[in-house]
Amino acid sequence: MKSHPPCSSKTPVRFRMPTAENLIPIRLDIENEGQRFKDSFTWNPTDPDSEVISFAKRTVKDLKLPPIFITQISQSIHSQLAEFRSYEGQEMHLKERIVPIKLDIRVNNTVLRDQFLWDISNLESDPEEFARTLCKDLDIEDLEVGPTIAVCIREQLFEIAIQGVASARESRVGKKGRRGAESFINSKMSSSSLDLVKLFGSKGSVVRKRKDWYLYEPIVDILSNEEAEALDAREVRNARLKKKLDEKEDSFQERS
Amino acid sequence: MRGCRPGNVENGSSTRYLYLPVSLTYPLSLLLLSPIFSLNTKELLGLSFSSVIDWNAGWFKWDEIHESERRSLPEFFEGGSYSRSPRVYKEYRDFIINKYREDPSKRLTFTDVRKCVVGDVGSLRKVFLFLEKWGLINFSVSDGKQQSEEDDGPVVIVEVGPAAGVRVVSGSSSSSSSFVDSAQAGGESAFRLPPLTSYSDAFGEWKPGSGLICGFCGGHYRSGLNESLNAGIAMCSKCLHKDTGNGKIEDDLTPNDHVDAKDQSSATCWTDTETLLLLEAVLKHGDDWDLIAQHVRTKNKLDCISRLIHLPFGDHMLGTISTKSNNANLITPLVEYKPSLQVLNDNPQEFTETNGDQQVEINKVEGIETASQDHPVKRRCFPPFTDTTNSFMKQVASFSTVCGPHVAAVALDAAIKALCQENPCAKLAFETNADKMAKPISPPYINEFKGDIKFEDGDAKRNKQAAYVSEKSFGATTFQVRAAIATSLAAAAARAKLAADQEEREMELLMASIIQAQLKKLQYKMKHLMEIELIMEKELSYVQQMKEFVLEEWVNLLEKLFEAGIPRWRDQVFPKTLLHTFPL
Repeated sequence: MKSHPPCSSKTPVRFRMPTAENLIPIRLDIENEGQRFKDSFTWNPTDPDSEVISFAKRTVKDLKLPPIFITQISQSIHSQLAEFRSYEGQEMHLKERIVPIKLDIRVNNTVLRDQFLWDISNLESDPEEFARTLCKDLDIEDLEVGPTIAVCIREQLFEIAIQGVASARESRVGKKGRRGAESFINSKMSSSSLDLVKLFGSKGSVVRKRKDWYLYEPIVDILSNEEAEALDAREVRNARLKKKLDEKEDSFQERS
Repeated sequence: MRGCRPGNVENGSSTRYLYLPVSLTYPLSLLLLSPIFSLNTKELLGLSFSSVIDWNAGWFKWDEIHESERRSLPEFFEGGSYSRSPRVYKEYRDFIINKYREDPSKRLTFTDVRKCVVGDVGSLRKVFLFLEKWGLINFSVSDGKQQSEEDDGPVVIVEVGPAAGVRVVSGSSSSSSSFVDSAQAGGESAFRLPPLTSYSDAFGEWKPGSGLICGFCGGHYRSGLNESLNAGIAMCSKCLHKDTGNGKIEDDLTPNDHVDAKDQSSATCWTDTETLLLLEAVLKHGDDWDLIAQHVRTKNKLDCISRLIHLPFGDHMLGTISTKSNNANLITPLVEYKPSLQVLNDNPQEFTETNGDQQVEINKVEGIETASQDHPVKRRCFPPFTDTTNSFMKQVASFSTVCGPHVAAVALDAAIKALCQENPCAKLAFETNADKMAKPISPPYINEFKGDIKFEDGDAKRNKQAAYVSEKSFGATTFQVRAAIATSLAAAAARAKLAADQEEREMELLMASIIQAQLKKLQYKMKHLMEIELIMEKELSYVQQMKEFVLEEWVNLLEKLFEAGIPRWRDQVFPKTLLHTFPL
């Protein structure tokens, strides 16, 4: 009896970032001889690969890092680009899918926690513009926060896009089962995303209940320098601990 | 089902709009889905709300989605999407606008919106930017670039109380007394146009000359001031005055040119207090313009001169001055000045009838004029005062003639009283004149009076002692001239007051009719809504009945089918047996 809009199955596109600009997020976290270099930015995968090394050189020069970082930075970028390109040949089925994106980041002294909904199939979305608006609306003065938010959004979108491609492949492998398999995959896929029919059907309102507003409200905290330093120190300690644990595990595996 | 109740329509300076809260628009938007009622609701809502929201986003309607919305946000109208449908768009839009109008002074940010609404932030952001672009939200918020003149469209504003700056005094006598107050206030500009809001709205940006800059001193000046002739550089009167002093601009150029330049505007710059001061000063100091300018204080020498020239009776003043200083010969035809007097009093007969004093003044002025005739140079330099088209005094005079005789009489009384208060000498002068001229006016009397003047002046020519008498009579005359001015002003004021009263009454009437119309509109709306609700309920019950009926039919049919034992009835719509029953 209900009249739903027909479920869209757009023509499949080549794998790409599900945003207006096909920029992929790159995150660097390199430690060498007690020096730690952390950064995140976006990279255009159509740029020639020779750009990577010149970028690494430039960064190291600007930040006065030891030259050994050049190779490490370019390696890290290369590996992340390679990961993206491994999916590039595949087709991506853009099915309307709205997922919650969660932010929990700290940039210098600014801590931001936020949650919002993002349509994976919207190829006109623009995380950078969204991040700019968010910073403007919240009066965040730190210029590094905006790009970090955008990279964080892109990372999550990338992750979800990879999942989509992987599940599509699975479904192709299990083609024998046909209908059953597909519906199974669909239900699995929508576990993280929202039930669109329920949310946007003719029954409900798209306006959230007032008591839920706080869940989707950004929270900004400006830390004092001491707090930020304390957090930095804790992060470093945790990283070292993790590294030690990894090493132990490795040695344990070797021994066995 | 949620009841259709009318939104609490607010109308006030704080909210400034009539608007529908979401609680109302939402059920109505559902109603629109039903084709039976769409026309009805559309009519209803279009009637009541399209007229109120009406600035550059005039296309906006609560119950409709406009073409420009479809064009700007096509993804909502392409179909084939759960999260982007026209209905969702409308809900987004209505929510965002209502959210903004909860507090129109506060800037609504996208971050505020997206926490309250389910949906893709990308498309939501597009809707938000679209609404912001059209000024449906955030348009009166001061936030740098957001503030612009395009924001003040025909917004519904109802101001309570009288417009700022308009003062209405009651009665013609009190209006003349307020005039006295302002006259006694001295150099302060007592007569200033009230800053009407409509005036500043309409002309605030196009004030003539506000952007002109003097090429010499760099200061802004208004159009009342001069422009230099040869260099083409704009110049304010201060600089020009300086230059004249230095001899850079030839002296013989200045008078006429200044007259031309000031003709349009300087009359507006002079308040009547200043004019009175000027006249006073002229009488006191004669030709000494420096002293006169000092006396007027607010104007410089050049302004004073040109102002006096432009007064309808400026020539008389100058004439008397010359008479006073020169005591020249004075035989001239009287008739020549008759038409010029008409300017001051277009309707002298009326005044003659009502008040003898008025006639006395006229006679006096005539007498003075005969004395001033001997100044051909002044005559030639300055246009006759019948030509001073936009002279303030002329306007006042014509105003005063429009009033009824009783108004003029009262005004004259008040004016004379005021003058007497101001200066005890005036009282004396009036009294003596009244004694002299208490008799009815007749041609021989005028002759006699003329002779009197002649005698006085002639006497002064020969005898220094007689100068005292002449001066005394001269003083009386000026007081009468001033009384005439005051009279006309007071009469004009009285008339203005009457006009203002009438306007006010009319405004009240219109206001009342507006309010009534609004109330009627609301009532109609209520009625419509109630009707709709009734129809809806009927329809609902009907639909339920139908549903039950169909269900029953269905069950019956199934029962029959089972009884008949027809298997797989779905595959064959008409069993062959049934087909054969039809006659071929």
